[in-house]
Parts: sequence; C-alpha cells; structure tokens
Amino acid sequence: MSKKYQAIVEKDGVRYFHRFSSHQRVQHVVLFTSVITLALTGFPLRHAEEAWARPLYDFMGGTEIAPLIHRAAGTVLLALFVYHTAYWMIRFYREHVVKLRERGELTVGSFFRELFSLEMVPNKKDLVDIIQLWKYLFYFTNRPPRHDRMSWREKFDYFAPYWGIPILGPAGAALWWRDEISHVVPGIVLNAAYIMHTDEALLAVLFLFFVHWYNVHYAPEKFPAATVWLTGYLNEHDMIHEHYNEYVRVMIENGLEDEIKPQNFGGEEYEW
Amino acid sequence: MVKLFKAVIFKGYVVLLMIFTVWYGYFMYPLVFGFEGKEQAAVSLKEMGEGVSDKERMFANMILETSKKSRIDLDYRVIDQPYIEGRFHHIGFEMEQDNASNCVLCHGNVPHDKSKEVRSFLNMHAFYTACETCHIRPEDKNEKIEFRWYDKDTGERTENPVALVEIEKAYAHIEGASYPTYGNYGAKIAPGVIEGGGFRFLHSNEDKAFVERYLAEEKVLSQKQKSQMKKLMHSGINKKPIECDQCHQEKNPYIPFAELGYPPRRVDELINTSVVGMIDKYKEFYIPNFLTPGDQPPED
Amino acid sequence: MKNIRPAYFVKFLLTIISFVLITPEIYAADELNCVLCHKHRGLSRIDENGEFRLFYINQELFESGPHRRNKCKDCHTDIDRIPHKPAKKVDCAQQCHIVEPSGNKKFSHKNIAETLAKSVHGKLDENGEPKKYAEDYPDCKSCHDQPLYRPFSFYKGKKEPGISKRSISRCKSCHTDGNFAEDFYEHVTTRLHKSRYSVETIEVCAKCHQDKAFRERHELDDVITSYKETFHGKMVILGSERTPDCIDCHVVAGENAHLIEGQDTPTSAVHKNNVSTTCRSSGCHEKAAAQLASFQTHVTYDREKYPMQFYMLIFFKALMAVILYFFLTLIFFELLRRLFPKFSFFKEKKAENYEQVISEIKEEADSKSRATGKNGGHHE
Repeated sequence: MSKKYQAIVEKDGVRYFHRFSSHQRVQHVVLFTSVITLALTGFPLRHAEEAWARPLYDFMGGTEIAPLIHRAAGTVLLALFVYHTAYWMIRFYREHVVKLRERGELTVGSFFRELFSLEMVPNKKDLVDIIQLWKYLFYFTNRPPRHDRMSWREKFDYFAPYWGIPILGPAGAALWWRDEISHVVPGIVLNAAYIMHTDEALLAVLFLFFVHWYNVHYAPEKFPAATVWLTGYLNEHDMIHEHYNEYVRVMIENGLEDEIKPQNFGGEEYEW
Repeated sequence: MVKLFKAVIFKGYVVLLMIFTVWYGYFMYPLVFGFEGKEQAAVSLKEMGEGVSDKERMFANMILETSKKSRIDLDYRVIDQPYIEGRFHHIGFEMEQDNASNCVLCHGNVPHDKSKEVRSFLNMHAFYTACETCHIRPEDKNEKIEFRWYDKDTGERTENPVALVEIEKAYAHIEGASYPTYGNYGAKIAPGVIEGGGFRFLHSNEDKAFVERYLAEEKVLSQKQKSQMKKLMHSGINKKPIECDQCHQEKNPYIPFAELGYPPRRVDELINTSVVGMIDKYKEFYIPNFLTPGDQPPED
Repeated sequence: MKNIRPAYFVKFLLTIISFVLITPEIYAADELNCVLCHKHRGLSRIDENGEFRLFYINQELFESGPHRRNKCKDCHTDIDRIPHKPAKKVDCAQQCHIVEPSGNKKFSHKNIAETLAKSVHGKLDENGEPKKYAEDYPDCKSCHDQPLYRPFSFYKGKKEPGISKRSISRCKSCHTDGNFAEDFYEHVTTRLHKSRYSVETIEVCAKCHQDKAFRERHELDDVITSYKETFHGKMVILGSERTPDCIDCHVVAGENAHLIEGQDTPTSAVHKNNVSTTCRSSGCHEKAAAQLASFQTHVTYDREKYPMQFYMLIFFKALMAVILYFFLTLIFFELLRRLFPKFSFFKEKKAENYEQVISEIKEEADSKSRATGKNGGHHE
C-alpha cells in the first residue's frame, strides 16, 4: 500500500499525510451509503407511531417498496462485511504472514503477535491515551494525548460496525426469511432476532449520528465536514493534533526530522 | 479584530455544540431507557378517570374527552369529527366555538336545560343566535333593536353568511350545491343599536373583559363579592325571554329574517309553513307553557 | 360525492324539498320529516348523566352508507310522531323493512348478535349467567358507528377509490330503475375489501383493551401496545393493508368476524393447537413450518412471562446507555476544554516534551530494525 501512496505530499505549502487508500475509501462510501439507506427505511418502521414516520416511509417507497430497499441495502452491507473481512485477512497474509515465513519465523506465537499488533487492534497505548485524555479534559495537564496511527476513538468507530453487523445482519436475514427459517428454528428465535435487530440498530444510529458525526462533522475544527474520507490525506495541522506519534514517526522516516513541529499545547490546535 | 471575531464565533459554536450534546442526551433518554414511556404517558391521563366515585370518574373523563377525535378514511374522502361517546351517526364536521360571547364563558355552548322538552331546540338556536337576542327584551330599554351577524371566531361583525344565502341553491338544485346545512354559518345573529349613524352590538368587549376578570379572580373573591358581581353581570338580562312565536310568525317577526340574508323560501318556512306548523304540533303534544321557557319557576 | 350519484342526489333533494314545501309523501328515508329539526347542527343537550347528546344528522353522510335505504323509523321504532319524547335505544337485532334480495326475507342483524353472544365478547357465560363485569362487554355500538361505503372503481385495469361513471355505467345500462345499481355497486365494491382500515380496527379494539382500569378488572395484558411493538402493528400503522390486524389472527379463517374466542376455547384461532394453522393461513406465512407458532406476538417485557425478551432488552439497553452516555460525557467535556484551552492546573513543558517523543520514536524504530533486520515497517 505504502508503495502506491506517498506518505507525505505537499500542496500549496501544506503537508498532507496519507491515511486511507482508495480501496478503503470506497469501502467506507459503500458502508455509509448502505447504513444511511437502512436507517431511512428502518427507523420509520421502528418508530411507526411518531408523526414523522409515515411521511418519511412513504418517501422511501411506502410499505411495499421500502422493505425491498431495506433488504437490498442490508444485503450490500452484509456483503461488504464479508468482503472487508476477506480484505484484511488477505492483506494480513501478504504483508505479515508471508514475510514471517520468508524470514523463517512463522510460529503460532509470532502469528498472533503480528495479528495483535495490527493498527486497528486495541492495545495498551490506547488505555494510556484514554487516561491522558481525561486528565487533559479535567484540566490536570495541558498536553493532549499523543495518538499512534489509529487513535482509540477511531478503533472504536471501526469495531462498532464490526460488532454491529454480525448482530444486525443475521437477525435481519432471519426476519426476512422468517417462513423458511421456521423449518430450522422455532418461532421464538424471531422474537430474539427482533430485539437484536431493532435495539442494535438504535445503538448504531444513535452512535453514528452523534458521536461519529461529531468526530467528522460537528467538531469545530472539522465543521462542516472532514475531507480525509474523500482524499485519503490528512493535513499537517490535524495530524499533529490527532496523531502526534504517527506524525513524528512519518516525518523521521521521510527524512524531515528537522522540520518536525512541536505538539500543540493549550488550545493552539483549535485555532481556525 | 478579525482574530477576536473569529474567537467569538468559535466559542459561540462550541457553546452551541455543548447545548446540542446535552439536548441529545435528553433526547436519547426515552429511546434508551423508556420502552414503557409511551404507554405510561397514555395511561397517566386515563388514571385520572379512576377516582373513587362514578361522578369523579365521569368528571375526569369529560376533561379528557375534549381531545378525542374520530377520523374515518374512505379513500376518496377523509372525515374528521369529534368523538362523542355512544354516538352512532356521523357528525362530519368539527364543532366550532363562539369566541365572542361572554355568556358562554360560564354557561358553555349547550346552556339550556330547564325546560326539558324544548331544551334541545333552544340549544339548536344558540348555535346561530347570540344569547342576548332572546334574553334581552328591547321594550325595557326603549331602544330600537337591530340585528346583525357576527363571526363566531373573531367576534367581528360580518356580512350575511354565504352558507345561508346558498341554501337557495340547494332548493333550486343547482349542480355543485351540497345538502342544505342549517345553522352552520360560522356566525351568530346578535342584537344591537344604531348609535351615531353606526351599528353597535349590545354585547361588548368591555363586558367580556369584565367576565374574564371575574373568572380569573374568582378564587380570591369573598362570597359576598361574588353575589354582588353576579348580580351586576346579569343586569339587563330579562327573566322572560323572547318566545318562539314572536319570531316564527307571519305578521311581524321579531327578527327580520330576509334582511339577515335568509333566502325567501327559507323565510317562508320560518314564519309561515313548516316551522310554525311544528310549533303548533308542539303546543298540542306538550303542555303549552313549555314554549314560554321563562315561565318556569326561577332557579335561584 | 356530488359528482358520483347525480341522479340519486337530485332525487334526494327533491324529496327534502317535497317534505318542506309539499305535504310529505311516503317515499324515502324520512317519511316523518325528521330532518326538519335534525338537520340543525346545534340540536343538542346535556343529558341527566352529564353526557353531551348531539341530535344532528349529517344527511350527506347518512346517505353514504348501506343504511340509507332505511327510514329513521325502521331503527328508531318507538318514534311515531313529531314532536317526540326521548327515543329508546336502538335494537340492531330487530327486523327492518328492507328485504334482503338473496332470500326475499326481511333483513336483520340478529345472526350477528347471536354470534357475538357466543364469542368471548358475549355478556353471558355458558350457563346463561351474566359474566363478571357484564356491563364492560360490548354491544354493537361499542365497535360500530354508522357504516359508510368505501366503493372503488375499475377502469382499464386501474383501481380507484370512489365510483366513476364509467364503472357504474355497466350496471346502469340494464338496471335503470331507482337507485338499485348505485346501492348494489357501492355495497359490493365496499365488501370486496375491508370496510375499515386496519388502523381503525385497532383503534376500535383499543377502546377497551388499552384501558388500564378495564384491563385490571379483567386481568388482561396490554395487547394493543404489544401488538404495536410487532412488525405487524408497525406496518399497519404505516398504512399497509397486507399485514394482519386484530381480526385477522383472532378469527378463524372463513368464520364470522364477530366470533372472536378466548385462548382457552378449543375452536379459537389463537388456541395453542390452532395458532400454527392461523399463522400459516393462505396469504400469510404459507411456507412456514408449524413451529413458527412459538413466536410470541403479544410480548409485554414482563420478567416472569417473557424472561428471554426481558433480559435481552436489559442487555441492549445497558449496552446502549454505557456506550452512548460515555461518549456524550466525553464530548461535553471536550467542548468544555475548548472554551478554556490555555488553562491547566499542571503544565508540561513543550520543548522538552517533543524532543522526548522524537527520541522515543527513534529508539523504537532502532529496536525494531535491529529485531527485523530492516528499516521501518510500521505499516500494517
């Protein structure tokens, strides 16, 4: 990946740091398109008695069409889940397992060590960052946490759908194929599927539309919208603010050690 | 300067976001915790109806009932109407309120109850006739009484109601005219006097303000004051109201129907044929003095 | 309406006018000229129980339903002259003067009343004794108001609400006399679909079954709320006519809709032996297995009755509360931090701090390259 993309590009005197490949960005677009579609066709049904439900549902196609759209979007999301799982597994194999084997170091222990050192896997550093963040928020220090390539919040954002889809998807599928599935499991499973589907969906939507959107839309330095999901590159200012450790590391690797800027302290990072 | 301006916008935005965050937490609360919330809200109103006695329960139900609506969707039309317990026939319209009258503030819009046999008729008249039309007698004041329509909603004087004039269309079976509807004019006939070349209703905003003030302060008034004020408020009201056949008669009806926009055929019904015949039947059917409600023994 | 049955409309008007102007002719609904008074919107009083009684008859709506062929007196039998004393309660089970065309018998709702008496809603138990709280049990008017036609037209394969001239012209070319074609057409097309929307059906049942005091008296669950929690209920609320309402599951397929029976009656649609048949009725879950019936429709989230649902709900609600309120608090304090960015109780020195980071990262990189024998490799 890093071969295809330059780690740092400079445009109009601003440095941009590579974050996401186009492959990943496309996956994100598919993800949010299907999730928003699912929410728009699912929530009017979940809250059918609210005044907004009927107009919205009618807009989404009404009781005949909206369920079809919902199921189609659900199928896309489940397919994306499978695809993404295959995607990281293949990359893990190519970029880690193969290399381990080449070096003759492939053991069960080293396999899992490599697996758990993937950038998305939560680790001890995240705990340190969380503690540092709360210290910072309660004014006990003037130094914000220094995140690695993936901050704990990004990891949470990543694992939220990764936990959510396996709950929502099969439950949704069971409710969709309710007649067929009744030949395999008793009807009460559908009761369970119903709760799983509706409540997990509520959690996902409440989380996405506030917490995630805060991170990328509402937050003062992002407002009205972050661009990294489109360009794949993050500017130096935000990089220092959000991923200082990663920033320093990339700068050193690219021979720019002398130009590393100090971490922003005490509010400078929030200047517009 | 620009920096300060930016800083102010920044802080303002942050504060707005904080408010939004708190609101979101509040908004989320019933979604996260309250699957019973909705049911409880619906029930808590009902619980009022669980008083000890039947009377208490009915009282609570009456308070609740105002909000009850019935909606029937026939695909090609939707019927919205108030829900009246135990009613079989459809109403097909929303009952309008009289915002101008000061009497209804206490007496309501179904005020007649004394004369059992004709009370429904009297209430029927109250739908399109102001109380003072019958309950103030002109001979006491020696004034020339004139009649005009006022808008039930705004209380302002209006022209003769279109719905009334159009009854004629229904008679003449003109295409597009609906079933003739009676009394549904959105207006009431009320008496007044000509004063300085202009027309003035007998009821006034001043009177209404007076009644409203009384109702607002009723709790703190002494019992003596209440009696005094009631006397004052009801001054000018005649114990013996205008009787049925003072209007429903051919020669000199008390209310000049034609001037008020009643179409000729309707006027004829009112003063000549069907309505008068009805009153005669009533006289046979019930004891005659039911038609002179004022002759009832006084309530107090 | 006015464009739909012009002939009928004109005839009706003529009738009204004939009552008003000429001596009444015995021809149509209003032989006693009841509407002379009852057409007035304000005709009302408060009765002895404090109930508001409105005596207004909306002629147009009365003419829009199957009862339009009845005279007032057919139902209000005790009224024989004007003026009249307060009328008695109408007995729907009496015979009316309408002749039922299929059997040439006088029409009556008697068999409906008998069916209702047999059902769980009947006032008497199997021994003919009044049930406990017999006054709570419904009569006709508890669920029905004046029925209204809901006709539709087919023209060139398109279904449209109301009667179109094109549609009815097929009948009228032969059945020219009177209003026969209109009556028949409206009656039949109304009956071709449900005469009530499912939402309206649910409101009817909710009148009693959602009433808390009523439910406590009869020891019943709030089945309306639990129904509205299901996809059946939600789809109905959103306007679907293809999802079941109360009647669809609680009446045996092919039975009279008034024969709703309790769970314990062996012939009931919801008796435990019959639920699977009911769920798998044609048009519903036809392809399902019998064990679909173990689906619980009226879930109340009661810990004792529905433990699985209860604990699942608790789990998800707890999960939701912890995650969402954690992040909400975090965001709130983060925003608060931005209001006073320069303030802090303890301060770290910037320069030292970032030199330290650089040296740490260099060390880390060195140790990695020593271990793997190559440079970098921090990427995934």
